[in-house]
Amino acid sequence: MLGCQDFCGYYDWTFHYLRRNFGQGAVEKYWAEAIAADAQHHYIQTGEYQGLRGLYESWLKTGRNEQCDWTVTLDEGHNLLRLDMRQCPSKGFLLDNDLNADEDYCDHCMGWIGPALHQLGAEVAAHEHNHCGQCWWEIRAIEESQPPVEVSADIRKDPRWGQGYLHRYAHHDKLPLLSEGEDADSCDVLVNWFRSADSLVVLGPGSSSVGEAWPTNDAHPAEIVSGRRYAAGDCPLDHVRGVLLEHDPGLLPAVAERFHSTERRPLLMHCYLPGEPMLNFAQHRLPRAVPILPLLIRSGVYTHQSQRRHPSTCLFAVLLAAALQKRIVVRDLERPSSQLEADDLEYLRQAWQHVEGRMDLPTNLRGVFPQHSPLVHNPSG
Amino acid sequence: MSAPDFYFVVNSTARHIHDEYGKEVLVDYWRSLGREYYGQRAGKWREGGLPAIADDWRQYFLHEPGAVVETTVEADAAHLDVRVCPAIKHLRESGRDIVPYFCEHCDHTCGSMAEQAGYQFARTGGMGSCHQTFYRPPATAEE
Repeated sequence: MLGCQDFCGYYDWTFHYLRRNFGQGAVEKYWAEAIAADAQHHYIQTGEYQGLRGLYESWLKTGRNEQCDWTVTLDEGHNLLRLDMRQCPSKGFLLDNDLNADEDYCDHCMGWIGPALHQLGAEVAAHEHNHCGQCWWEIRAIEESQPPVEVSADIRKDPRWGQGYLHRYAHHDKLPLLSEGEDADSCDVLVNWFRSADSLVVLGPGSSSVGEAWPTNDAHPAEIVSGRRYAAGDCPLDHVRGVLLEHDPGLLPAVAERFHSTERRPLLMHCYLPGEPMLNFAQHRLPRAVPILPLLIRSGVYTHQSQRRHPSTCLFAVLLAAALQKRIVVRDLERPSSQLEADDLEYLRQAWQHVEGRMDLPTNLRGVFPQHSPLVHNPSG
Repeated sequence: MSAPDFYFVVNSTARHIHDEYGKEVLVDYWRSLGREYYGQRAGKWREGGLPAIADDWRQYFLHEPGAVVETTVEADAAHLDVRVCPAIKHLRESGRDIVPYFCEHCDHTCGSMAEQAGYQFARTGGMGSCHQTFYRPPATAEE
């Protein structure tokens, strides 16, 4: 049977099933119709009957059932129902069990709460979530005044708020992901950031060989390096357009020092793999890194499987370049193909197939693919 | 986190996919769920055989609020005697309109998992109590 103990896992998978088969619109329709209007219809009923107080009672019951670590504040005098989630058990289930089937699990809350509130003449006046289990919501009647209200339980005062990347909403509109950008969708952010690059040069953890390895006929190559390599400065920093940060909080001070001393700053990116240590960007005055898994999942180049060995940071960068449909140049992997794990080779093959062979591997890895395949490009040959 | 209101979503998801895309897609959804989401669980069934299947369900139902289920293992089959289905119980007690094909999710999801493990699945009864059997395919049983 489909039980309730592992529901959140197959709920996430269900979003992915609908999205991959029927598109983003199908997921939004599912949240509005199957969840808001059907499964969670009791919210609408109590909201119609008692307004914000009815919703407050419903959320209190949900919080007890799901064992939420949160504070629910009702201030009817100021037209406010506020939720401050300290540890979301639903997202927590995915994090604890290494699950990430769909692009963005957290989107489902706004996906059903928004349509449900609209039926009641109410709205999500403001909302943010950091994808690490912390979020806050201001729910208010649309036609009444919405004065600012401070609450002592404001999750933004919690040190955990500095983790993850923020999705922000105002009156149900999703706001840009980056403070200086216009794109709300992380996939659009990545596509536009690397739009001008003809090739993406992915530098592995080995010693630098960039000068001799770059294709000479590319007008606009761009580098992607790991946080460790960026912090060490062991790469031509002028060409670094993206830094894919490892799941190593200990690297952040050095990354921050390099980042703040650089004039042409790269885009910070991160995998946000479930179950891995979380990075606290705010603590180091760094912009929150843009997630890459949504793009990898949307493009079909990567499927997250729990208990499977995940790609290294370098291989994730290769998959990102493949998802962006760029010509890929890989350098400084150091290890010969015979020393790569089977999973690593599989990830490389997936990337190679995704860009139809427009990939230039270092000499020690050229045996990975058929030796005489015309798809394997050798820039020096 | 075993919150029984999640059964509302199992029910409404089946209704939505059925009404929006048709029964064939709903069956594909259930079978894909068994193959993809529960693939690793089915792998453990394959490794541990019928005792593993029975033990897995015994443990599973311990965490489903309101479930009354007895599991037994025979030489060629594992049986689940579902005396109180927790999902149907909660949906009924909450006054929810249960889709008539609700119980078929077990046929297709468990059926898909059983096949991956080298077994077959059968169910008799439903809508509150049923008997489920995981058994060796006839050809294998003869060997």
